[in-house]
Parts: sequence; C-alpha cells; structure tokens
Amino acid sequence: MNLGTRKLLDRSFTALGIGSIIIMGLALLVVLVPIVSNGIGALVFRETVEHRKLLLSEFHRGDAGDLEKELVISNGYRQKAFDILAAFDRELEQMEPERQEVYRESYEQVRTALRVLLGPLPGEELPELTRFRYGQTRWDKAEEKLHDLLYEQKWDYSNPDVIAKPNDVSRASIFAGTSLVRLFPYVEENIDRMMMPQWTIYWGFITDSSLDSHFFGGIWPEIQGTIFLAIGAMIFAFPLGVIAAIYFTEYAREGFLNSLLRSANSTLAGVPSIVFGLFGLAFFINTLHVSESKSVLAGSLTLAIMILPTIIRAAEEAILSVPKTYKEASLGLGSTKWNTIMTVILPAALPGILTGGVISLGRAAGETAPIIFTAAVSVGTAIGLGDVLSSPTPALSWNIYNLASEHEAAAQIRHVQYGMVLSLVMIVLLLNLSAVILRARISKKLKG
Amino acid sequence: MKKYGSICSLLLVMTLCWAGSAEAAKAIVIDGSTTVGPIAKSFASYFMKKYQTPVTVSESGSGNGAKSLINGSCDIADMSRSMKPQEIAAAKAKGINPVASVVALDGLAMVVHPSNPVRNLTESQIADIYSGKIINWRQVGGASFPIVVIQRESNSGTQETFKELVMKGRQVVNSAETQASNGSVKNRVSQTRGAIGFIGLGYTDSLVKKVSVNGVTPSAATVNNHTYMLARELFMYTNGRPAGMVGRFVDLPKTLDGKRIIKELGFISKY
Repeated sequence: MNLGTRKLLDRSFTALGIGSIIIMGLALLVVLVPIVSNGIGALVFRETVEHRKLLLSEFHRGDAGDLEKELVISNGYRQKAFDILAAFDRELEQMEPERQEVYRESYEQVRTALRVLLGPLPGEELPELTRFRYGQTRWDKAEEKLHDLLYEQKWDYSNPDVIAKPNDVSRASIFAGTSLVRLFPYVEENIDRMMMPQWTIYWGFITDSSLDSHFFGGIWPEIQGTIFLAIGAMIFAFPLGVIAAIYFTEYAREGFLNSLLRSANSTLAGVPSIVFGLFGLAFFINTLHVSESKSVLAGSLTLAIMILPTIIRAAEEAILSVPKTYKEASLGLGSTKWNTIMTVILPAALPGILTGGVISLGRAAGETAPIIFTAAVSVGTAIGLGDVLSSPTPALSWNIYNLASEHEAAAQIRHVQYGMVLSLVMIVLLLNLSAVILRARISKKLKG
Repeated sequence: MKKYGSICSLLLVMTLCWAGSAEAAKAIVIDGSTTVGPIAKSFASYFMKKYQTPVTVSESGSGNGAKSLINGSCDIADMSRSMKPQEIAAAKAKGINPVASVVALDGLAMVVHPSNPVRNLTESQIADIYSGKIINWRQVGGASFPIVVIQRESNSGTQETFKELVMKGRQVVNSAETQASNGSVKNRVSQTRGAIGFIGLGYTDSLVKKVSVNGVTPSAATVNNHTYMLARELFMYTNGRPAGMVGRFVDLPKTLDGKRIIKELGFISKY
C-alpha cells in the first residue's frame, strides 16, 4: 500500500469518527432540548393572581397584604364581567321561552368557560375539589382558556359523506343583539388586569406535595420515593454483588457448578424488567409477605435482583483488571488470601466497582416495570424513613406513565408530566456524574 | 475504612429501629379500577386533609384490585364491575370475606373522534362493530372510513361490563386494539379519525365525541333515570364490613362532601 492511500484511509477514518460524534451529539440535543425546554416550564412560568391565591391559602406562602391589594384591583375588573353576566341573566328571564331555549345551552357554555378561566362565579357554592376552586394558575393555560371563551369549536357535519373539519365560531356572533355581546371584547381586553401574570420560579414544584391528584403543588413525594427505591436497591444489591464477584474471581474453582452459576448470572442480566416486577409481586409480596401491601421494601428487593447481575459483572471485571503482580507481591510477603483481597485487591478495584454500582443506581431510579406491582402508587403522601418497610410510595418513573396515559385530565396537566421527566433525567444524570467524579478521585488517590 | 464501615452499620441499625417504632399511623391502601381512580384519588386527598390518615391509591384495573384484596395486599379494592363467583370463592378460600359498597353510578360512553359525523348508534350496531360485522362507518350512516375498534384489556371491569351489556356472549373481533386504561382509550380515540371506544362518563371531555346509544345521549341525567342503557355501579370492596378509618372511607359517598366530589368529577351519586 503506498503512502498516499494510507493517508487517505487515515483521513477518511478520522472524518468518519468526527461525523459519528456529531451525529451522536445531535441526537442527544434532539432528545434533551425538548425535555429541558418543556420540563423547565413546570418551574419557571408566568403565574397568575390565582396561583398566588392558591399558594397563600393551600401552602401558606406569600404576602397576604400584597395579595389583598392585588385582589382588590383584579376583582374590580372581574366584577364588570360578572355585572354583564347578571344583566344577561335578567334579560334572559324576560325573553319568550323559545328564544330562551336558543341561548340556554350556549350561555351555559359561556359560564363554564368563564368559570374555568377565573374560578367559581359569584353566587356559586365553593366546589369541594381544589381543582375547581381556582381559575387558571398559569398564564399560558389562561390564554388557551380565553380562546375557549371567545370561540366555540364547531364541527361541520352538514355533509355526512366526508370527515368533518373544525372551525372556530366566535361566541360573540352567537349572542349578537343581546347584552352579553359586550362580555367577550371586555374580557379579551382586560384579561391581563384580571389575571395579573408575572414571571416566577416555583421552587415548590420540587419541594411541595401534590394537591388534588397533581393538579397543583409539586412532586416531592415522587422524587423522594424514587430516591428511596434506588438507594434501597443499592443497599441490598451492592454488598451481595461485590461478594459474589469476589467469590467468582478468587474462590470459585472452574467446574460445572461454576459455569452454571456464571451463565445463570448472564441470563439474569437479559431478563426483561417486567418479569422481575411480576416475580417481585409473586415472591416477595404474595409468598414471603415482606410487607402487607406494596412497599418500598418489596420494590427495592425487586430492583436489587434486577441490577444484581450488572453489579456482579462490573465488579468481576474490575477485580480481574487488578494486575496479578499486586496479589503475588502481597502473598509473597506472607499475607493471607483474605487479607490480600481486603487490603490489596478491593481498594485497587474500587473505582471500577463503584462505577458499575452507580450506573446500576441510575437504572434502578429510572425503571418502571419492576415497581408497578411491588411499590408504586399513583397518589400517596411523602413517606418517612420509618414507613419504608410497610408503605408504598409514588415514584417518578411510574407517575410519568400514569400522568401520560391514565390520569383523567392528562391533557390539562402536561406541564407536571414534563417537569417530572426533567427531574428524573436530572436525578439519573447527577448520579452518573457523581460516579465519574468519584471514580476520578479514587483513581487519583490510588496513584498518589 | 473500618471507621466508615462501623458508622454505616450503626446508621443502618438506627434506621431499622426507627422503622420498627414508627408504624403508628397505618395507611389505607387502595388498588383497582382506573374508572374509580379519579373518585378514589379525590377521596384520598379529602381524607388525608380531614383525618390526617395517609391513603395510597394505585390504578391497576378491577381484576388486579380483586387479586390484591384476595391476597390481602390492599384494604380497599376499587372495582367497576361486581366480583365474579370464582373471585369470591378464591377470597373465601383465603379467609377473606369481600363486601361491596357502592361508590357511584357511571355511564359507559361510546366515544368517537370529534370529526366523525355519526351521532347515534343502536345497541345492535355497536355489537356488530365490535364483532367485526360492520367495518366501515358508511354502514352506520357516516363517511366512508374504516372503523378502528378499541377495547380494554381483559383485566378491566369496564371491558367486562361492556361485554355483558352489549356483546351478550358474542366475541370481540381479533383486530380490535387493546388499551390499558380509560385515559389511554380517550387519547387513542382523540388522535385516530376512524376510532371508536368506550370510556367511563367521568372521563369524557371535548377531545372526544360522545355518541348517543339507541337515541339516548349519555349524561348524568339519563344514567340517573335509567333511560341510558350502558350504565353500571362502581364498587369499593373490603374484607368484611369495614370498621374504623377504612369504614369511614367507604362511607364517604354517603356524606354531603362525598356526594359533591362525585358530582364534580362527572359521576352520578347513588345516595
């Protein structure tokens, strides 16, 4: 091969390498940017006066005096809208029954839309559910609901042979000629004075408990549950995994039983996580009765079994990569086998073992399937350390799924779901980052 | 190294001791139907605020709720159907005596994509659609568009109720798509033009279009006066007649606040 061809091959390989790195970077961007940009919306958003009202009365946060002043101004503007409603109520009563019938249904829709936007209308009983006690707490949602108030989405079914298309019909045109027509331009013009939006960073999203099944409040119970489950899994799996790895590498004799055990371990690593979930339910809860119901304990044990093979593998590799000369030197100096393992081999293998451990910790934090039947619930309070043996817990991975598919108002609380996704990604990222740092530190110490 | 080890083990022992002593406030554990889920979750929030008793709710389907109750791993099983004889037998065999309390009434709404011009289906048309005899919307007076049939999983009480009330022994067509919760059926229908599905009345909103059945629109009023045929009772099952906090919880539907919560969620109070 002549020099020119070699150089060309070399260059094209470099180009290929750079190209694949760029593609990977782009893929990471495509995944991370929407997660971060959507997720951050749960923390940083324009809150309306309704949100400040909610914070003060449900979480006792904020300045009552300031809010009082704001409410006076906001209610002043709202009152005019309510006056228009009251005027139309009187007008409606005086109409002939047939005309009343024409407006009745549309008027009810207007009232509903206004209630959704501003909260309970005057003269109405305070709803029992917190979600109906307040108007829109977020400005982006308020703008959406304003659109619902101004326009009615109608589907044109006049031709039954074609699929209908939606078109927005202005509600003002439905009420043309009545006193209610004034309401729509009035609300549209004064909405920011009624809602008083301002930018805020809502740290409570991380530290508060959820209120009324995730409509308001934060996700602390989920974050805490995730951390408990991941750490619980580590407490069981890490020591077991390291001990098993020491046995495999230092004590086990090559033979039938040993190769059986090794292949069992490899097989375990390939088992789908839902199988572990069902196994956890059948074994830990229904057979062993480690707890009366689902619990953090049962979930941690299930997750521990799931991550055990990875930990064993990583620890084995780490121990095998310790130079043989270390061991020979130690034994040559008259040390016992056990002493050699504890003082020479394990410390040298520690960075590798820890990396494997922390990567498994990240996996345990992110898994959904093993905890569905063993630990996770959709609603629950933040549990104390004392309850981990008996209580189930909400957890991020499961609640993301729950909010995405099962929740009765999934479309209205997307921001909570996005916020949860961002938190979970952040937790896993932080865990992996700490693994890198830990590893670097220990390696430095060993070399030093 | 040794020092760290002993500190760690000391901490572990301390935590375990603490864990043993702090079991005073026992949580009420609820499992079961996704249809009853919204009621159970709202009751849970209300209950935690009023009595400071922790309540946890999982939504894994009526069948799983029944299994949890039989295995003694939940206090209350939410169910959108009544327990089957074999489930009751299994419970009895394990020394559990399942007692039903009615939570609310619920209509089963047939939903289609909002762009679908079809307004009404008869009971036999629905059965024909689900058994695969009718495959195009044109056959029931709509646009020429293939029907995407969506059903629930076998674990679902909603599915059992639907089979009992509509299918009456006929098989659901194999090509039917299966979704695991009311929410995901609603999602799927709202995104698929030719889709038809059934969900609890409490789950309906403007994303999907409710079709009337035999000319009757599904609503709180028509379910309440028994003119709408696809209606059922929702239950909470407990082991024996419940006492204490669990008893208070299953009696919530009879209280004034409980009735208001049920109504606000779009269900129909029975009491």
